Amino acid sequence: MSTENTFRNEPALEFRREPVRAQALRALAELRTKLPLRIGAANGAAAGGELLSYNPANPAELIAVAPAGTAADARAALVRADSAFESWSALDAGTRAATLQRAAGLLRERRLELTALEVLEAGKPWPEADADVCEAIDFLEYYALGALALDRGRLLPQLPGERNTLRYYPRGPHAVIAPWNFPMAIPAGMVSAALVTGNTVVFKPAEQTPACGHALVQALHSAGVPEDALVLLTGADEPARELVAHPLVHGIAFTGSCAAGQHIIHAAAQAQPGQRHVKRVIAEMGGKNCIIVDADADLDDAVPAIIKSAFGFAGQKCSAAARVLVCEQIADALNERLAGAIRALRVGPAEDFASDLATVIDAEALARINAFLDGAEHEPRVQADIPVGTGGHYVPPTLFVDLPPSSRIVREEVFGPVLSCERVASVEAAVRIVREGDFGLTGGLFSRSPQTIEYVSRLGIVGNLYVNREITGAMVGRHPFGGGRLSGTGPKAGGPDYLLTFVEARSVSENTVRHGLVI
Amino acid sequence: MDDAQLEDRVHECGQRLAAGLGSADASGLRHPLAIGERRMMRSLIADPRLRAALFRFVDVRPACQSRTELVRHLSEFLEEAGAGSENARRLARLTSRRGLTLPTAGAAGLGVASMAHRFIAGEDAQAAASELTSLWEQGRCVTLDLLGEATLTEPEGERYAQRCTQTLRALGQMSAGWAPNQLLEHDGLGPLPRANLSVKVSALTPHLRANAPERALSAARDRLLELLRLARDLGAHLHVDMESLDTRESITELFLELLALDEFADGPSAGIVLQAYLTDSEEQLELLLGWLEQHPRGAPFTIRLVKGAYWDHEVVLAAQHGWRAPVFTDRRSCDRHYEHLTRRLLDARAGGLALRPAIASHNLRSLAHAIAYSDALGLAPDALELQVLRGLGDDTAAAIAAYGRRVRVYCPVGDLVAGMAYLVRRLLENTSNDSFLAAQTTGADINLLLERP
Repeated sequence: MSTENTFRNEPALEFRREPVRAQALRALAELRTKLPLRIGAANGAAAGGELLSYNPANPAELIAVAPAGTAADARAALVRADSAFESWSALDAGTRAATLQRAAGLLRERRLELTALEVLEAGKPWPEADADVCEAIDFLEYYALGALALDRGRLLPQLPGERNTLRYYPRGPHAVIAPWNFPMAIPAGMVSAALVTGNTVVFKPAEQTPACGHALVQALHSAGVPEDALVLLTGADEPARELVAHPLVHGIAFTGSCAAGQHIIHAAAQAQPGQRHVKRVIAEMGGKNCIIVDADADLDDAVPAIIKSAFGFAGQKCSAAARVLVCEQIADALNERLAGAIRALRVGPAEDFASDLATVIDAEALARINAFLDGAEHEPRVQADIPVGTGGHYVPPTLFVDLPPSSRIVREEVFGPVLSCERVASVEAAVRIVREGDFGLTGGLFSRSPQTIEYVSRLGIVGNLYVNREITGAMVGRHPFGGGRLSGTGPKAGGPDYLLTFVEARSVSENTVRHGLVI
Repeated sequence: MDDAQLEDRVHECGQRLAAGLGSADASGLRHPLAIGERRMMRSLIADPRLRAALFRFVDVRPACQSRTELVRHLSEFLEEAGAGSENARRLARLTSRRGLTLPTAGAAGLGVASMAHRFIAGEDAQAAASELTSLWEQGRCVTLDLLGEATLTEPEGERYAQRCTQTLRALGQMSAGWAPNQLLEHDGLGPLPRANLSVKVSALTPHLRANAPERALSAARDRLLELLRLARDLGAHLHVDMESLDTRESITELFLELLALDEFADGPSAGIVLQAYLTDSEEQLELLLGWLEQHPRGAPFTIRLVKGAYWDHEVVLAAQHGWRAPVFTDRRSCDRHYEHLTRRLLDARAGGLALRPAIASHNLRSLAHAIAYSDALGLAPDALELQVLRGLGDDTAAAIAAYGRRVRVYCPVGDLVAGMAYLVRRLLENTSNDSFLAAQTTGADINLLLERP
């Protein structure tokens, strides 16, 4: 594909400049005057009642009201998507790609407003909210270029008297089930990949962030995607289950927890009466990501990168760092500096530029993470202060040092601002630990030895290895993202192979010999 | 004086400074070590792969806990560089030869240490005392800079503040015994403190945030306030260094806010840095000059004009985020801008502002331009201060002193571990293709070097 040559990531907002921050805060204030946002029921009246989203930093602040979709809504949505498939799939690739690019342009025009929406609805701090909107734009642009390349087909060996072609075809309606932690980017990637290759989509955003999901759908509709080719289905679990099970669904693109992902893979494998195809599932699931710190690492670099990887967006990224495996020669120095750096973190509302990290998404997440912290009998722990009396869902960023390998905090995905640091005898020993884990999503290595870097890189123990930098913040095109083992099915999002999952290849071989002549 | 006349004067000054380079003393040109080093620098400029390998070695040197570790890293770097560098291949063979490995490692380790010593005056002010005193005796004043690891925690910020306190006191004590020197201690605006410390606000607090400058304002406030009080009480000069653009707003706001306090109306002598490579540095200068006009203090304010030492950082950061680079990417426009800002500073001084322009550069052309323009304005010779870095600008310092102008040498102190980042930056600067010093090292014609940018 030629996308690598023309694709450029959307530039981030330069928040280090005061006028840009002021603009962002104005956009936030402007958005506040419109709250709560009311998202129309795609299927007429909502039988299932209302779905409400709140500001995680202030649960009294209602952000959006959306219909709580039911199983019946899911069926109706799929019927619409199915009816739109024939005409949408018949469009040429260039038209669909141009539609995505127009949608990217519309998101670009609403940059500040959408970023502000993420700040309020997902509790995502400004730079990370902005990065998410940028990534959404990137996905639209990248897959638009990718679809054009895919449309050219692949060159096959040609012999005299034989013309061979390979073309890619859309498959049918797809279900996209998206998480709240990248409320614009992840659905933008999954939805646009399905659409641009000619499939239709029923998109169910996470119940915590319906307004972000709606904004994306709005942009795609305004850009020219027919209403029925992309149907927004807000709601909780019930409509999602129905989508997965329904025979009209040809493919499911899911990003979320490991348990939910495995359930989807299982449910999708059961063919329903009348179903004449095998459903494909792309599932991006969890991680328990490790950063290995070699004895020759520069702690001036490693400590801030570890802090950013572990506590950025309060650790609510599947790519976040959960474990540090440090060579024992420098373990004490690292632990001391990590502890001091955590104490210097400021926890506060996402809308405050001074907050290093903000809330977790909701009360349920708060209770789940606190259960991990309460259950950790092992002390000492290092924590930063959190705001009190605000009602916000704050968890203190926490470091545990030298927990036993059997500890839940070491074994399980916490999905919160919790980091454990363990000593290892060598990089080789650290690699063994990484390999024994259930997940294989991201990983980090801090080392100044070219041979050590080459050694760990070649092993391919994780989907995305980051060397001497933070392990989050994958950029579309530059860092194709996705992992192995229980972290996901692949292929990598934002990479050259992603679109292939949404298409079927058809080859044609034509005999070009007539009367003994090659024509 | 018109443009052509000024140009003539710049060339005259430049020729005179260049002639002074030859008269360097023991720390300069004629020292055999310096000649060897110059030769090495020359070969590094010509061999970027070897240069990268050696810099990576310098960088990792303090983290190597044994000679075996040292030699392992060295040979890995050389091996990697060997793909495109015959020199590196030869060196790699040398380091891998049995029996030679450990002595090589020892020599390489010592080499780094001795190189570091060229740039770093000592572990602390006390250790550097004889060096600082001898600089004074050679007609050069100093400012001290405390090298250290990054401040990531409160205790690290506190330790840095304590080091600053100790350094100010030590400088005050040692400089009391120095012989009077009219040029180094007075200008038309009054006395110049002998004790002079350059402070990094980013080392005072772990709370510097590019997106939230207000955080540092409260977090570093108390520590900087204490340092200003101490400097005032000791009669020392406190200079705030500038770092990457990410921290400029914090540093500037905090420092100016504190200096405007009543208690600092008459002291201490203080100053800030202006980085000419930033494309918006003129606006920044206007901001500083505007502040000066609105806040007349008893003690003059120094603005040190530098080119800027974080060029690569700024360019890489901007590229990775899709931003326009905040720095000039073309050397000549940067040099032109530097001269423009020099003139703005000197004009402001000639206009009667209590401002001390300090032109910090190793570019002979930039220095000559400052002298010529200052003279053309009719300013007294002592109205202009020139600054250089220890280790890089030793010859230049000697030439400036021989010219009869005030030169201040920026002297970093700190241990080897802490000094590595500084050392690598200086070495990169010294051997980059764009570097004036590199051009000088490779023997470029002086008239070419003095050409108008």
